[in-house]
Amino acid sequence: MKRTLAILLANPLSLLGVVLVSLVVLSALFADFIAPFPEHRGAVVDFVNFNKAPEWPYIFGTDLVGRDMFSRILYAYRISLILGVVVLAIAVPIGVTIGLVAGYLGGRWEYALMRLTDVFLSVPPLVLAMSIMGVLQPTLANGMLAVTAMWWPWYTRLVYNITRGEKEEGYVLAAEVIGASRAHIIFREILPNCVPAIITKMTLDMGFVILIASSLSFLGLGVQPPTPDLGSMVADGAKYLPDSWWLTIFPGLAILVAVFGFNLIGDALRDILGAEQ
Amino acid sequence: MSAPTLDIENLKLGFKGYTGYTEVLHGISLSVNPGERVALVGESGSGKSVTARIVLGLLQELRAARIEGRVRFEGQDLDSLNRRERHALRGKAMSMIFQDPTSSLNPVFRIGDQFHDVLRRADPRITRDAALGRAASILAEVSVRDAVRVLNAFPFQLSGGLNQRVMIAMALANEPALLIADEPGTALDVTVQAQTLHLMRKLVEDHHTAVLFISHNLGVVREFADQIYVIYKGRIVEQGPTEAVFDGPRHPYTRALMAAVPRLTGGGIPDIDENSPDFGAPLETHEREGRQ
Repeated sequence: MKRTLAILLANPLSLLGVVLVSLVVLSALFADFIAPFPEHRGAVVDFVNFNKAPEWPYIFGTDLVGRDMFSRILYAYRISLILGVVVLAIAVPIGVTIGLVAGYLGGRWEYALMRLTDVFLSVPPLVLAMSIMGVLQPTLANGMLAVTAMWWPWYTRLVYNITRGEKEEGYVLAAEVIGASRAHIIFREILPNCVPAIITKMTLDMGFVILIASSLSFLGLGVQPPTPDLGSMVADGAKYLPDSWWLTIFPGLAILVAVFGFNLIGDALRDILGAEQ
Repeated sequence: MSAPTLDIENLKLGFKGYTGYTEVLHGISLSVNPGERVALVGESGSGKSVTARIVLGLLQELRAARIEGRVRFEGQDLDSLNRRERHALRGKAMSMIFQDPTSSLNPVFRIGDQFHDVLRRADPRITRDAALGRAASILAEVSVRDAVRVLNAFPFQLSGGLNQRVMIAMALANEPALLIADEPGTALDVTVQAQTLHLMRKLVEDHHTAVLFISHNLGVVREFADQIYVIYKGRIVEQGPTEAVFDGPRHPYTRALMAAVPRLTGGGIPDIDENSPDFGAPLETHEREGRQ
């Protein structure tokens, strides 16, 4: 763990990733203190200062009803991160458990579970999420549900493949011989050997979940106004390009920074943890 | 004489596959008495390892496997036990060690924690400290001096020989009545193998553990076993006390097997028929002394 962190900080690219992710996380956590206009995250109108190009004190400019873009981006980060964490917190345990069970038990279990997984994987992810959101009310909770539904099968695939390999390892046979229960073998013997791969994928996915959630709200199917969301901010501003460029460029850059940061860390983790195995 | 620890009678095994039914074992019989070291010798694919799996009750759970015949463990017919009862035997009354010690240990746990898991099979309430203490004393029996370092290490931090000793110690930790050794140490180099076999022999003698030793290495078998069964294509072709079989091999296959052992003095390996009709000759039995 310490070693992993040391390698992460030694490589300039992954160091950049750590810096970017720290920035995003800190600004989300301390938005209340950093944001110059915390009240602008809600339905506030200030027609005196509307649609202003970046200038002090509005460093990222203001939107069409005069709200500070910088403050709104900070709060949008908070929503994005909560969404990412919640989606992964639900999708990963489900996906991993199904993958482990299908991979270890094999036979009918494998057939039933993996075909179910294939059904989910066969629908393009954004289309699946969109159809779920189309049926349900477009709220934050339903957005999480939609993204979760499209996310768990990837973990099932990943863990299933690792489990198929680990199952043939001597230590699994040794555990069987010694009389370990199936649950013990699945969760205490095989699962720990999947953890590096799972962590790596989770880090990479943090960025993608944020991206997908932004895409959903860009299409008007995600978080609803007045709650600030990076995707809907880009969508709202796109109509006023190129004149009011700050309406799209800054939220777009914010998405880029978050996704890029998580990806840099994920790539580095893949190299580090992959090399250990 | 008390009941044999393991008594296999006319055991047949077949697998049902897409291409039909394939019989792998054609009725083998063997017995292992308490404290006895019995070797099952044969080439790859002769049916040695599946025999071990059946004894452990692992193949019975496979739907494609058809098993006939009788396997008795300490007088109990394994067929009469349900899955739970067979499960209870594993790890406590019988245990097993494998070819490759390093891959038989889970790479992500420390040796000490794996010992704890093993000891919990027999005593579910054993504390970690008690388990580590017990582990250290068993490790001392296989001449591991710095037990503290070993128990704190991960398997990949230890040498193959050390892992092999750890495996042996783990297998014997719960004082099983029967130990099945499936080509132990084949993955190790010869000197380490000899050393660990020596330790294992001492340990099973001290604990009076019966051993079913599966191997293709005649030199190792001669050193280790009291009784020897030669298996060829799912049939026992020769059986008897080790000395008798080595001094006067009677079955053509046994003779061919012994002729095929590479010698230090050179001279090449004789050509052996892959499938000589002689090898189908009936079972040769050397009488055991003091029995029957």
